[in-house]
Order: sequence, then structure tokens, then C-alpha cells
Amino acid sequence: MYVYDSLDKTLLNQRVAEFRDQVQRRLDGDLTEDQFKPLRLMNGLYLQLHAYMLRVAIPYGTLSSDQMRKLAYVAKTYDRGYGHFTTRQNIQFNWIELSTAPDLLYDLSEVDLHAIQTSGNCIRNVTADPYAGAAADELDDPRIWSEVIRQWSTLHPEFSFLPRKFKIAVTGSEADRAAIKFHDIGLKIVRNNEGVLGFAVYVGGGQGRTPIVAPLIKAFLPAPDLLRYLDAVLRVYNRHGRRDNIYKARIKILVDSMGADSFAAEVASEFNRLDPKLLSVRDDDVSRLRDMFAQPYLRPDPDSSSSFEDLVKKSPRLGPWFKSNAHPHKTPGYSIVTISLKPIGGIPGDATAEQMFGIADLADRFSLGEIRVTYTQNLILPHVRQADLFVLWQELERLNLATPNVGLASDIIACPGLDYCSLANARSIPISQRISERFANLNAQHDVGPLDIRISGCINACGHHHAGHIGILGVDKKGEERYQLTLGGQGNGESAVGKIVGPGFDEDGIVDAVETVVSTYLSLRTEGEVFSQTLARTGQDPFKERLYDNR
Amino acid sequence: MTIVNASGDVVEQGWTTVESLEGYGPHHGIIVSPAVLLDSFDEADHVSLSHTGVRLSVEDDVSEIAAYVPHLGLIELVFAQFKDGRPYSTALTLRRDYKFTHELRASGDVLPDQAIFLIRSGFSSVDVPDQFTAQEFKKSLMAYSVAYQSAHDSHVSLIDDLRRSTPDVAAE
Ligand code: HEM
Ligand code: SF4
Repeated sequence: MYVYDSLDKTLLNQRVAEFRDQVQRRLDGDLTEDQFKPLRLMNGLYLQLHAYMLRVAIPYGTLSSDQMRKLAYVAKTYDRGYGHFTTRQNIQFNWIELSTAPDLLYDLSEVDLHAIQTSGNCIRNVTADPYAGAAADELDDPRIWSEVIRQWSTLHPEFSFLPRKFKIAVTGSEADRAAIKFHDIGLKIVRNNEGVLGFAVYVGGGQGRTPIVAPLIKAFLPAPDLLRYLDAVLRVYNRHGRRDNIYKARIKILVDSMGADSFAAEVASEFNRLDPKLLSVRDDDVSRLRDMFAQPYLRPDPDSSSSFEDLVKKSPRLGPWFKSNAHPHKTPGYSIVTISLKPIGGIPGDATAEQMFGIADLADRFSLGEIRVTYTQNLILPHVRQADLFVLWQELERLNLATPNVGLASDIIACPGLDYCSLANARSIPISQRISERFANLNAQHDVGPLDIRISGCINACGHHHAGHIGILGVDKKGEERYQLTLGGQGNGESAVGKIVGPGFDEDGIVDAVETVVSTYLSLRTEGEVFSQTLARTGQDPFKERLYDNR
Repeated sequence: MTIVNASGDVVEQGWTTVESLEGYGPHHGIIVSPAVLLDSFDEADHVSLSHTGVRLSVEDDVSEIAAYVPHLGLIELVFAQFKDGRPYSTALTLRRDYKFTHELRASGDVLPDQAIFLIRSGFSSVDVPDQFTAQEFKKSLMAYSVAYQSAHDSHVSLIDDLRRSTPDVAAE
């Protein structure tokens, strides 16, 4: 993992001190709320329906066990004993007192955590493939390049007041587990024909009220040119992005209105003006970072798999968990284990302080002290020996963290919605709880197979509903909470925007509708077909008929 | 009106902002709009231009006064709103593409907490808005002693993880 040196620490301490001063000026009445707002928003502090909410960055979704312990401590000390992991690989605390926020940030800084650039119209926390460093299909570790971007973008003098927020995601694998094409910039690590390392650059994706899958702007960018190219993209955006209408301010609108080709040409011309010496990232420059992220040696242990299979037979509950929650590691005999934060009927992404302490200990015992955060609001232990899986599973059961539902119907993504969010039209969390309960039978979920349900409480799409196989959007219809249903989105691997099926539903209706969609799929599917394949084959019509015919 | 320099210290204001040239000679140290500059000044008269400044709004296009830029004594970029960060990129362009080396001033809606971003982007002075004090700007400038990006200031040391092995940069 990246280890802060004294300069990184100095910067972080100075940020904490600056924020403490800003809060003090507000508490003393030297700053009005209007003057304070832009300052607190530069440090992840939102005023929500009931209290302040603090968003803490988890850079590229990587946490050490000590960092997790600190988050647990913060949840216990400053919040009501829990934290909420979000789709942005961040954690949010919902019940924060303004007067204690500076102490909270000071405590976090002791383990190199912070809230820098977790809100505001700046370059946000960079996200990456949660399997980084462990996946078999990886060309290069995306965390190295995410760290390069983190450093370059932190308190960037020129790019801290952009037209709108700016999100960058990096993957090093063919299978896209970071939804890169739904980001302002998506970077995919590739090699060209000569074997040179570089990036395919996608610019102008996003969700919100105008969901767009990002077009490819540059097919091959040599790795040393990464920052120079990002600098050029950001400058073109800062100059030309719209500032007259908040809904048209994201870079996706600029790319769309200029056309991908002329946008790329403008970036190229800016790129050529930049002095390569100032921003080039040479291979020897990143070698220090590469060493830091190098995975500690794991001794291949192929025998461990076969003995594990015997164990699976001993416990009928272990088998399904292994099937849905464990993924092959690049080292034989090891697994990448997903910890489900989606217990049946629970709040997606919530973890209690006790659970976080427990996960930290399990990471130390079984996963080299490493934890990852996924944008689907789950956690990952990336390096678990299969011989340890049985004990790990037992420990997770004890913490109520072993729900065998990763990638299945009850692994729902949901935004905070009307329970917390001041922008919401409708509640998200209770809907997700009711759907989860409707599918409580885990064997049935395994039978249904991969299914991605996503819920947003308004068109800002924090719950990624556009990219769910089944998407649910909360809308306000004459003061009543209603829910719109979309089908056919893809956010995992492929990227596609779902289409609205028909008129919306009320709270009971939407839960029934999801069940109807699933039973329709079950009646239509052919041998071995998963939901998204059936839908692609049949189109929406048979689903529409079942949903609306008997009305 | 209070002007602070790149170190946050108050400096004597040698410039007067005018709407038209009436009553001013060529060496008065006046700041004019781009329209007045284009109408009344000769781009080849480098001596007069060195006593002339221009103030640009966020909507003004620098390329329209390109021929004048390198010879102007001062350029003022007016922030329409502190949230509108276009002048940061304009500052960089002026320094880099137009090789502008004289005073580059930020004015309009700027916050003390933005001081360090302004100076690091290439501004060399700030016109402190009435509701703030020069001390607030100075304090904010001194809040950081380190930064990750090489930029247009001197009192901040670089966290140069990425550039440790790139000696050429030191020459910049
Ligand atoms: C409760 C406080 C929150 C507020 C006020 C809020 C506000 C917003 C707004 C206004 C947008 C639209 C931005 C735009 O398209 O220009 C947005 C987008 C988004 N938010 Fe949130 N959000 C909140 C919580 C969350 C949470 C908890 C998550 C993660 C679960 C999240 C993840 C996202 C994502 C992924 C997007 C889509 C970004 C895109 O369009 O590229 N937000 N949010
Ligand atoms: S989607 Fe809407 S309701 Fe949900 S968190 Fe975002 S802004 Fe709030």
C-alpha cells in the first residue's frame, strides 16, 4: 500500500489545521453559513436533512486494517455507531456535530485518511478496480496510477473550481469492475502492439439526469504522458465547460455538444503545448510507487483448494457463499473474498463499528491486513488462502457479514434517499429492504442467478439506477412518492443505460413489479441464460405485458 | 482598495482603473477594458503599453488582444464568482503561451481561502475584496508549506514523488 512520507503528512496536517480554523471562525460567528458553505464543501462536510454528514475518501478503494479500525473508532466516537459505504468507494458518517468535525479529521489523519476533495467542483477521490493487485486478468496495478493521479489532483491550484465535480476511475483488467465508462474520465490500462504500457482514455461518461456511456477519446496514451494528457483534458473542460446551467455543466455535456472527435482534437492541441518535462511520469519515477503496491509474496497453495472442497460438503451453507462471494485469485489456492454489506432486509452499505473492528481483525489474520471497498457497497478481503476460508466464513457469520448474495438479487445498490438526503423525491433504503426481504430465500436467489438491482431517490442517480439490470428511480408525482422502473442497464463489465419500461408504481407496486420481472425472466430463460441475456434476447415486450396487462 | 502581492504583503497601488482615456496621458499607469485598448493603443508602441494594464472578464477572449499581451504592464482578471474557476486557466495560458511576465492581478469575487491557488496558478497580486482583509489573505497563503504540483510560486516545497528523478525540472 502507499505509505505517506513526511511531506504527504505535512500537507495533510496543514489541511486539518486550516479546516479547524475555518470551523472555529464559523462557530465564533466570523463566517456566515453562506461564507462557510464553500469551505466546508471543500472538505466533504454536507448539511443534510437532520445533521451534518461527513464523506471520507478511501483512495482508490484501498484500506489497511489500521485505517478500518480508525473508521470504526470514528463511527463509535463521533457518529451513532455505524458508517455507510458508498458507491464512490467513500464512507459517509451521517450524524456529525460541527464542533467535533475538526477532531474527527485529526484522528483520521493519524492513519493518512481525510475528506479532501470528497465534495465540491473539483477532481474527486479516484476510484479503481477493487480486485487490484489480486486479479488474474490484470495488466498492471491500477492503484499505482491512481496514486499518481491522487497526488497530481490533490489541492490542484488550477482545477479546484471546475464547472462541476469531476470523477476519474482506473482499471487494469479486461473485466471492468470500476464502471469506468460512467465516469468523467475512465482509464483502462492497455499495451499497444509493441508491448508498451499505456491507457485507453474514455471521456465524458456519467449518470445523473443525462446518462452517457463515455466515448473513447484516445485509444493509446503512453503511460508517461498520463498527467500531461489529464492536464490538457481538464484545461479544455475548465475553459469551455458550461457554467450557466448546473445540469449541463458536467464534461459529458461538453464532449457531447462538441462531438468526441473535435473534443479530442482540442485536447491534443492543448497537450502539444504542454512542456513534457513538467508532467511526464517516467517508469523510473513510478518505481517507488510500484514497490509500495507490490503484493507480498503468497506461496502458491493449490492443494488448499481440494481440501476446501471437502469442507464445502460438510456445511451446506458454505457452498453457496463460496460460489457467490469468492473469486479466483491470481495465485493458485487463494481467493478474493467479498464481504456482503447487504444482509437480508438491511441497509445497503451500512456497517456497525463492531463489524468494522471485526473486519479489521479478519484482514490481519487472513488477508495481509488489506481491505477493499467496492462501488457496489461491499467490502473485499483480497488475499485469502483457501485453507482459511472455512474459519473466515465462520467468523463472518458471527458478525452477520456472510450473506451469500454477492451479485444476486438482494445485493442491491441504493442511495441514501429521503431518509437522509435533502434532494430526494422518494425513499430508497426502505424499498431496497423490502425487495431484499421479498427475495429472502437465498437458494432461490442463487437459482435466479446474477441480477443487479439499483435504486436512486432522485434523478441525480447516486444509486446508479441507469446502470442496473433492474433500475428504480424515485420521482415526485404531485407530492406523492412514485417509482419508475428501467430495464437493461449494465454497470459491470459492459456499460449500458437502461430504458424506462412504462408508467411508475407506488411503494407496494414497485416491489411487486420487481418480483414480476424476475418471474417473467424465469419463465422465459433458456438453459444457462442469465437475466441480462434473456432480456437482450426477448426485449422488454414480454416484461411489459406481464407488468401492465392485468391493470 | 488594498492590493497584496504574492507573499500576501500590502503593496502600493500604482494603477488607476479608467473607463475612457479622457484626462490621461500615455504614461499614467491606467487599467482599461479590452475595447479601449484595441481602439486607442498601437500594438507596436511598447513603451505606452508598458504603462498600460487591461482588465479581462471571464467572458473576454485573450486571443483578441494577443498582439498586445506580452508588452502590457499589467493584466487584471476579474472573477465573476469565486466558484467560476476560468481565470485560473487563463492565468496559466498567459504565463505559458503568451509569455506574459508582468503583474497578473486577481480581482472581483475571490476568497482569502483561495489565495494559495491564485498565486500558484500564476497570479502575482490580488485586489482584496472589501469584506476581507489583507491579513486574511496572508494567513491563508501561509497555510501550506508543501504541494504536489510544480507551480508559479516559491515558498512551497514540492512533494516530488513523481519527479524526484527528473532533474530537468529544477531548471524551470
Ligand atoms: C446524501 C447526500 C448526497 C447528495 C446531496 C448527493 C448529491 C448528488 C448530486 C446533486 C448529483 C448529480 C451531480 C451531477 O450530475 O452533476 C450526484 C451524483 C452522484 N452521486 Fe450523490 N449525493 C449524495 C450522496 C451520495 C451517496 C451516498 C453516493 C453513493 C452511494 C453518491 C454517489 C453519487 C454518484 C455515483 C453520482 C453520479 C455521478 C455522475 O453523474 O457521474 N452520492 N449526487
Ligand atoms: S440520488 Fe438523489 S436522493 Fe439519492 S442520494 Fe443522490 S441526490 Fe439524494
